[in-house]
Amino acid sequence: MSILAVTEVLVAQNIAFAIIAVGVVVAGVRLVTTENVVHAALWLVVVLAGIAGLYILLAAEFTAIVQVLVYIGAIVVLFLFGIMLTRARLGEGETVNKKMRAPALVIAVAMFALMAYSLWGYFGSTELEVMGRSTAELGQTTAQVADTLFLTYLIPFEVVSVLLLAALTGAIVLARRD
Amino acid sequence: MSAPFAGSLLVGQTGDPLLFSVDAVAVGIVILKVLVIFALLLVATMFMVWFERKLISDMQNRIGPNLAGPFGILQTLADGIKFFFKEDVIPDKSQRKVFILAPYLAFVPAFLLFAVVPFGGDFNGGNDGMVTIFGRDTYLQLADPPIGVLFILAMSSLAVYGAMLAGWSSGSKYPLLGSVRASAQMVSYEAALGLSAAAVVLVTGTLSTHSMVTSQAGDGPWGVLPNWGILLTLGVPFVIFVIAGTAELNRPPFDLVEAEQELVGGFHTEYSSIRFALFFLAEFMNTITMSAIFVTLFLGGPSGPAFFGPGWMWGVIWFLAKVFIFLFMFVWFRATLPRMRYDQLMDLGWKVLIPLALGWFLVLASLEVADARQWNRWVVGAIAAVVLVGGAALLRKSVRSGAALRAEEVLD
Amino acid sequence: MGQYLPIFVLLVLAVLFGAGSFVASKLLAPRLPTSAKLGPYECGIEPSREPPRRFSVRFYLVAMIFIVFDVEVMFLFPFSTVVDEVGLFGLVAVLIFSVALFESFLYLLGNGALEWGPVVRKVIPGAVAPSRTAATTVRRVGTEGRGRVPAMARAADDGGAAA
Repeated sequence: MSILAVTEVLVAQNIAFAIIAVGVVVAGVRLVTTENVVHAALWLVVVLAGIAGLYILLAAEFTAIVQVLVYIGAIVVLFLFGIMLTRARLGEGETVNKKMRAPALVIAVAMFALMAYSLWGYFGSTELEVMGRSTAELGQTTAQVADTLFLTYLIPFEVVSVLLLAALTGAIVLARRD
Repeated sequence: MSAPFAGSLLVGQTGDPLLFSVDAVAVGIVILKVLVIFALLLVATMFMVWFERKLISDMQNRIGPNLAGPFGILQTLADGIKFFFKEDVIPDKSQRKVFILAPYLAFVPAFLLFAVVPFGGDFNGGNDGMVTIFGRDTYLQLADPPIGVLFILAMSSLAVYGAMLAGWSSGSKYPLLGSVRASAQMVSYEAALGLSAAAVVLVTGTLSTHSMVTSQAGDGPWGVLPNWGILLTLGVPFVIFVIAGTAELNRPPFDLVEAEQELVGGFHTEYSSIRFALFFLAEFMNTITMSAIFVTLFLGGPSGPAFFGPGWMWGVIWFLAKVFIFLFMFVWFRATLPRMRYDQLMDLGWKVLIPLALGWFLVLASLEVADARQWNRWVVGAIAAVVLVGGAALLRKSVRSGAALRAEEVLD
Repeated sequence: MGQYLPIFVLLVLAVLFGAGSFVASKLLAPRLPTSAKLGPYECGIEPSREPPRRFSVRFYLVAMIFIVFDVEVMFLFPFSTVVDEVGLFGLVAVLIFSVALFESFLYLLGNGALEWGPVVRKVIPGAVAPSRTAATTVRRVGTEGRGRVPAMARAADDGGAAA
């Protein structure tokens, strides 16, 4: 049977990356320029889904699925509920304030520069060894995540529970009538 | 480099062997499988709609559809064709773009959900359900990602969007109320769904749906019972999963979303023509897929004894037979159980199912660790049960004090 | 990544199916919009008021608590796959995590965060509301001679304190 050479797989991967990346950037721009809050939330879904796709390309499928389940399935739903609670009238953008566009642009560019600089400084031109790994290893990424989580990063894991506790306690403020 | 991709079965490897080397033949097989599954899903959905109408009319002592085809079996097809000829109305007050998008968001996840369900193959005597199509080894399942169970949860969490946005974008009273109810309900029962699915992952030790079926195919407790998830998890997660799954589907007795007496048609009141048909399709397709997921997680999927002929065919037969049980159950629920009240629904989800699923997961995890350490299973189980009862008592106390806050003293 | 190829193909097919149905519907269905058809559905009468724009904060609360449990589930899944390797150590870690969560969940429940039902009306035994006497002839006489009524007594005490 004929097998695609590794280089061909890499080419396919690069093309997929390019398509997803362009989609994510376009959706990101629409997210901040649209005047409708609900549309903005939906563009956010597109951005998050695209990033989940990138994780899958990097063989980090557990991270990808967490992205979909927690961010798209829960947090954006929370945003949409939040929009319902406010006075923002669905579909009409007269309440959207555009005064802060210039400072926001400056901050966005600064953030991009910072992240690009640090990523470039850390990785440089080294390539991640994703395609070099065997399928057996690729099938075990969730187990690797779990091992690191419960052995190496145990303390941060427990701290997360305190964070969640704080979130639930914060919810009491909403729940109590007094 | 090419060796690991050549389709050799490595230890601990998950995934369909067909897809480790992607070439023209593999892509051809994938497209063929996709088309077959797509067609079968549509036919199965049509069957399900007819089956539900026919069975429920039997249960209610009336005739039901009987004109289109023998026993009215073509009724759904006739309805489907009719939808194409109906006027497509987009209300003036709707948010056009979102209104048009919402049906897609409802039915695309419904299709994708079935991709990870194994629906056939021979799992007897150490076989792992492999079949050979055009000289290639593959599974009778569209895709077998290593995180199949999480994929199921992810797709069912996306289903919230269809209901939520359809109601919002309609610009009308009843759809809006229906969609708010629907999204809160789906969100509430998703946690219970996830926690009870985690219990199965715990006992089978894998997130891949195919490996899950393989591990359930062997001999079970005492060598006579099947090694099914329902027995290994001691039943409770199965019950929770079925209840939460029914609520996730918005099927009776959890169909407050489309409580006709209060909300007309719920979130799709304003939808007509083919847009309504897509919601309808998604709903019934989800019913079938959810039944298939029950079977995969808890009843050993397509595994079962083969008698004569090709082994994979028996896999398909067992799978269909098991799914049919749940389809019948869903219709039976609808014919029997009265609709729940919204506060009862929320109480059941948050105050019973979620704590119970979490507690049961921890009990099973303790038993698993006890087995690994060769501790006495019964002693550990007894301690865990005592802790569980203690937790339940605490829960009851806090529920009571929460309810007391809502109570209001009145004079006669 | 190859494992996701069929899912992607199915996605494309599903979207094409949806688009195809819309095209077919566009070609086959009549289009005769009238103002009655395009108005919001209200069982045949003219809508007298706008649909509500705001909802109870409880729905937001549900989504918030759901996120917390969703995150918990996301930790339990990897734990389930490696329970044999991390053993007792991992189990204790998960137990601590779950207890921390459960206990704050109990606090939340105790504060009535997930109470959806109607307000429960508890009748105070033996008490008669003064307002009630105006509506019925039977009790017009008031509450004299009916024993000490807690609510009345409280009102009397308050009055006494003010005086």
